[in-house]
Amino acid sequence: MASLVSTRRLDLLNPYEVAQLGGIELVARGVVEGFLAGMHRSPFRGFSVEFAEHRPYQPGDELRYLDWKILGRADRLFVKQYEEETNLRSMIVLDASRSMDWTGDERRLTKLEYAKRLVAALSLVLLRQRDATGLIGFDERVRTVVRARARHRHWWQLLAALVALDAGQGTVAEPALRRVTDLLRRRGLVLFVSDLLLERDLALLALQYLRHRGHQVIVFHIMDPAELSLEGPPEARFEDPETGGAMVARPRELRAVYEATVRRTIGEWRAACRGGGIDYHHVLTDTPFGYVLRRAAASRSRLG
Amino acid sequence: MIGFLQPLALLGLVAVAIPPLLHLLGRRLPPTVMFPAVRYLTATEREHSRRLKLRNLLLLILRMAVILFVVLAAARPVARVASGTGHPATAVALVVDNSLSAGAVVRGRRVLDVLVDRAREVMRRVESGDRLWLVLGDGLPRRVGRAEALETLDSLTPWPVRLDVTEAVRVAARVLRDEALPAREVVLLSDLQASALSAGEAVAVRVLVWQPPEVPDNRGIDSAYVEPVLWAPAGEVVVRLGGSFTEPAALRLATEGRDLAGAVAGAGDVVTLAATVPLRGWLAARVELDPDELRADDSWWLALRIVEPAAVRTVGEVGRFVEDALDVLQEGGRVRRGDEVSLADRPTTGITILFPPADPSLVGAVNRALAVRGVAWRVGEIVQGEWSLTGEVEPASGAAVYRRHRLLGDGAVLVRAAGEPWLVRAGDQVIVASRMEEAWTTLPVRAAFIPFLDVLVNQVAARESWIVRAAPGATARLPAAARAVLLPAGEVTVPSDGRLPAPRAPGVYFLRGPRGDTVGALEVNHDRRESRLETATARSVRATLGDQARLLSDRGMDRELFEGERRADVTGLLLAAAIVAALAELGLASAGGAKRGT
Repeated sequence: MASLVSTRRLDLLNPYEVAQLGGIELVARGVVEGFLAGMHRSPFRGFSVEFAEHRPYQPGDELRYLDWKILGRADRLFVKQYEEETNLRSMIVLDASRSMDWTGDERRLTKLEYAKRLVAALSLVLLRQRDATGLIGFDERVRTVVRARARHRHWWQLLAALVALDAGQGTVAEPALRRVTDLLRRRGLVLFVSDLLLERDLALLALQYLRHRGHQVIVFHIMDPAELSLEGPPEARFEDPETGGAMVARPRELRAVYEATVRRTIGEWRAACRGGGIDYHHVLTDTPFGYVLRRAAASRSRLG
Repeated sequence: MIGFLQPLALLGLVAVAIPPLLHLLGRRLPPTVMFPAVRYLTATEREHSRRLKLRNLLLLILRMAVILFVVLAAARPVARVASGTGHPATAVALVVDNSLSAGAVVRGRRVLDVLVDRAREVMRRVESGDRLWLVLGDGLPRRVGRAEALETLDSLTPWPVRLDVTEAVRVAARVLRDEALPAREVVLLSDLQASALSAGEAVAVRVLVWQPPEVPDNRGIDSAYVEPVLWAPAGEVVVRLGGSFTEPAALRLATEGRDLAGAVAGAGDVVTLAATVPLRGWLAARVELDPDELRADDSWWLALRIVEPAAVRTVGEVGRFVEDALDVLQEGGRVRRGDEVSLADRPTTGITILFPPADPSLVGAVNRALAVRGVAWRVGEIVQGEWSLTGEVEPASGAAVYRRHRLLGDGAVLVRAAGEPWLVRAGDQVIVASRMEEAWTTLPVRAAFIPFLDVLVNQVAARESWIVRAAPGATARLPAAARAVLLPAGEVTVPSDGRLPAPRAPGVYFLRGPRGDTVGALEVNHDRRESRLETATARSVRATLGDQARLLSDRGMDRELFEGERRADVTGLLLAAAIVAALAELGLASAGGAKRGT
């Protein structure tokens, strides 16, 4: 793994190929290592007011936080961490509904597998910054809750919860998002990872409520590339694995308008999120994890 | 008003149902595809269902239209083109079938009268600018004016001839082809017997065919012949009846005002009427059938010749086969012993049938004796081989010859072997080139040998009796012995090639020889195909005359007559419409796919 990390930037590789290298933990580590190696400073860092502790330098940390005294005395790289940073609390809300357990190509990860790896990488990045990070997994109910902690070993708890989280049934996001308000009493960061095949108005209401509570909210809209277009036999019965709803259609006839509908839906999500001060990222499951992390980091810094 | 030249092609209209059927069949059990984003799909369908349904309906209609247009085009539609009053100047050939069958009576009227009525209707619509041709039962086109045509129709009677109506139409079409007028039509008025159609080239002009609504059942005499040719004084007449009316009817053989024999028979029967005639010489006899709706085929004319049996003797070595055959003929009353006809191996006084001598060294003496009697023929050297006999003496035909003398000279040749004379006649002398032995020919061991000898003695040597049969108006080929034919109008000399048109009236016409004696008869009787009144179908009319021939009803004839130039073929228009519809379908079908990239 070390050699892979050193020779190839896993964060920039095809997610499916990266997933073939090992489990979630290895992938997340590799991705994060590669991701941080390409950053000039820590991605989710705010400004500090009170020193808290030292930690070893990680590629991507800003040089201004290097403790030059230790460097000069012991010839070792340490950076200073500040209280404000450690107090950032983030909660990742992951959609584990049946619709997430789908891929349009065997050589692509399902939306859920992709999302798990993305969440693992995100949480690792956050924890390395001493940000307390928690996880809520849901389908039509809240299925997994891992409270936010800043300890480095906490990542293993998150990983265990992620691995144990398999695809459930329907999708109802509001209970999970309401649960966030219980778990994040102070202002924090909420990462909502879902294919957004849910009741948009209710979900938006819940997200905007979080935003009103002072949380920063980032939405990762996970889509399989095959969902962007309509392919298949000349005539087929398309069935929703989550709801069982189905309709017979001829892809050739509906393809153009379907694509327009998808584009419009994405646009509506983006506009609605932007209007509510929510950061929105449309993520296809063939997008390298590093790109997603980079975009998330950029928006995080933009949001402050 | 649209009509179709190939209406059967309209059966293809059922193919119009193929697109909807495919649509319905295609809807059955489509494969299931798991697809989480069905909500986008349902939203799409909800928003665009009207447009999609309209598009699909339009596609379905366009596909059905393509098939519809192609099928209609295949049916060769013609549409009436509006024009002013009257009709364009037209060259029209009116074929009126007044052949023998037109004499049939239906509901008290002759078929010909019905045909003439319809012909008058056609004439009524002929205008001054039209050019009119009239074709009758003889099949010859006549350029006529309207008045002349009407006069001809008024006096028209059934002729006892056979008319090949398809050939008559072809002749009429050829005549019209040379006409400069823009429109050409052949109008065929006929009882349209199936037997009157014959295969041949399609006709290139419009042919309007009309037939009377009914034809009767009929029975008639198909053929009759005497057996044997010479009665002494008894003989038989073999009669074959034909037609569709199988109910038995009375049949009589009569001559000189008296009935000789009678029988009862139906269509398809072959009847032998045996009779004895107490008279001598040539007689005209007639076989008569009880009358039915068509009278002209109920009688058959025959020539009878009643003679005493020939008195024969043998001179020299003519062979045992000849001796035995004469005994048989004598027992049968066909010959008697005497010196009227000599069967000899050397020329003798009187009528002689000369066979080659058994000793070849005697051939020279034979030739000298022939020369003394003024005979132009000589007996030449012997040649060997294998040949088949052909000629006028029917029983000899087909027999093989292995050895024969060459017959050298000039005169009437009755039978030939390999094209060379084998049986010749010169005055009283009849010369045979082979001896009647197995080594020379198969003739003496064939069943035909006794009839051959009978004909040789009674017909060829002693009494020439040639019977020629012909249909009315047909060309008869008369024997070389005939110099003239006795017709009611007088004696007609036979042309040098022997070909003479038979009189149109059925009957027996005797043939005169060079010495003024009667040497045979020409029997003129109806063509049995005229007895077959079964009618042709519209399909067979088109098959024989081509696609431009149409069998029409009364109304159809009224509508179509002189409409040739007023009707436009819209096949091309429909094909163009089919192409436009196909292109529209292609464009509409591909438009949905093309939008994908937009």
